[in-house]
Amino acid sequence: MRTLACAVALVLVLAAPHPAGRAALSAATNGAIRGRVELRHVATSPERRPTVSDLATPPPLDATDYLKSVVYLETAPRSAFDMTESTRHAVMDQRNETFVPHLLAITTGTTVDFPNSDHIYHNVFSLSKAKSFDLGRYEAGKSRAVTFERPGIVRVFCDIHSHMNAFILVFNHPFFTVTDTEGRYRIDNVPPGSYNVIAWNEGLSSDPKPVTVPDGGTTELDFALR
Amino acid sequence: MIVHSVYNFLKVKVLAAAALVAALACPAAAGQLPSEPIVAAGGRLTVSGDVSATMSCAHANTPPNAAACTPDTGFFNYTDYKYSALRLFRVDLIANVKDTRRLAVLAEVRSENAGTPSPYGLYLRIKPWLAHDFDIQVGRVPPTFGAFARRSYASDNLLIGYPLAYQYLTSLRPDALPANADELLRMRGRGWQSQFSVGNTVAEPGMPLISALHWDTGVQLHTAASWGDFAASITNGTLANPLVSDDNGGKQVAARGTLRPVPGLIIGASAARGPFVTTHAGEAAGVAAPNSHFTQTAVGADVEYSRGYYLVRAEAILSAWRVPEIAAPYIDAPLRADSIMVEGRYKIRPGLYAAARVDHLGFSTVTGTGRTDSWDAPVIREEVGGGYSIQRNLQLKMSYQHNSRAGGRTKENVSAAQLVFWF
Repeated sequence: MRTLACAVALVLVLAAPHPAGRAALSAATNGAIRGRVELRHVATSPERRPTVSDLATPPPLDATDYLKSVVYLETAPRSAFDMTESTRHAVMDQRNETFVPHLLAITTGTTVDFPNSDHIYHNVFSLSKAKSFDLGRYEAGKSRAVTFERPGIVRVFCDIHSHMNAFILVFNHPFFTVTDTEGRYRIDNVPPGSYNVIAWNEGLSSDPKPVTVPDGGTTELDFALR
Repeated sequence: MIVHSVYNFLKVKVLAAAALVAALACPAAAGQLPSEPIVAAGGRLTVSGDVSATMSCAHANTPPNAAACTPDTGFFNYTDYKYSALRLFRVDLIANVKDTRRLAVLAEVRSENAGTPSPYGLYLRIKPWLAHDFDIQVGRVPPTFGAFARRSYASDNLLIGYPLAYQYLTSLRPDALPANADELLRMRGRGWQSQFSVGNTVAEPGMPLISALHWDTGVQLHTAASWGDFAASITNGTLANPLVSDDNGGKQVAARGTLRPVPGLIIGASAARGPFVTTHAGEAAGVAAPNSHFTQTAVGADVEYSRGYYLVRAEAILSAWRVPEIAAPYIDAPLRADSIMVEGRYKIRPGLYAAARVDHLGFSTVTGTGRTDSWDAPVIREEVGGGYSIQRNLQLKMSYQHNSRAGGRTKENVSAAQLVFWF
């Protein structure tokens, strides 16, 4: 799993402008890619580490977010780099000893807020190569932020609650999306052209699938993972 | 000579085990290692693990390596006769088998220095009302008393050594009794191999104030609210001598409550009382009082405060053992021991922290023939060190520990390293 994650990270880092996209942009209307990611074997549900030293039954964890995947273009159209975006913000909440959402996809330069909505302390941290940080312990109602400057996969944990974990996928282009819990997705505003598309779930990624986005049209593309 | 051979044997084992853990931790192999608990049977079975390899520079009966590493002949870190907490390869496998949310079996199997695995904890957890935070645990249950005993795992311990109250061996034993105060005073500072004339007369390790290395067997109740929690238990052994099977017909009662008045602050208080002298030793003492009269009674208070990158903990424990008065000069007052420990951690950067602990263990006095002294030798331990997370679940810790004792073998300096892997 770690090897795959590293490979995906490498792909993200190396995501390069795609010449076809730029050529098509000047005279064409952008299209879309949509489809479904089927998870043949759902990722391990977020069971807590069993510790016999706990004195009580821990509350159950919500596994719904583990059904969501990220679908993204392996190489971005050059137009992606012409886009000017205002300051980007995203939020990863800490609620009921869970990161919400469990999976976040953002572009480089995005600042992610980590509010604590529990009545107990949390301590968000990551040792990932793409972004290493430790926000320390802070109470409910407080929030701390991290700006992600480099593309890659960032695994986020809580230093106090070992069962809390999340993924942040940082892209250097905007052509990605997070599926719903049924696996459905749609990437809009894609310049016409040919691309490779990848689906990713909990550290596993699909092989790149080629797709051609027609002028102003929508292309269907499904994935099966695991 | 035999002891030396045992140490060398353990040293080889520990180094081999450490090499194994290090090999497993290398990037090529790490992909094969679990980083999350193993879940099977549709979530009914969850298995986690905790592996630690601890090495220290000092070994018993060997010349000092350097000023910072004196020979380990003071047995300050011994958890029993064979094992030093600073030279230990430990593997814990923990399983949770749950039928419903109301019923679960939790088990932990532990192997130390590649020895035969044994159940460290094994109990049934019952949650009668799903809407309430109330649990009943039956079997070999987690310690009720104190704050440290439930976080003694290498992955939870800020440093490598243990707090004195939870590990340091006093001269007292449940199965052997001092006939008089003189005999007790002769064993000052010799808890690693204590010997008395009543009961079991073979030299054996004494007891700590509280054992963090063995769990007691019985029934435990726990309830919690957002502002704190409360636990109580009835068990076969005592804090110092947890048991699977009762050896004196008496039960220990223990209770603990914690308050969380503001985020980051936890205040705890504990109390326990139970008979500790074995039936055999009690009979050998030949006193009229029933065995249930000879108790270990302990009270404790602890506090933890954390904020940002700081964590500070303090814990104070007072324990008193009542032993039979067998012969003059009599031990006519409870033998008290008091412990106070303060530890702290500061996170320097992601994955890297520094920590320190100061620890004192003191003892009440007894009067022997022409001599009044503490019944065991007071000990001070200072430990500084830190940890670096190679990856989230693989950590390297290093520490330097200074021990001093007012009696017996009086000083010891030890440097230690520990590799911890957990999933």
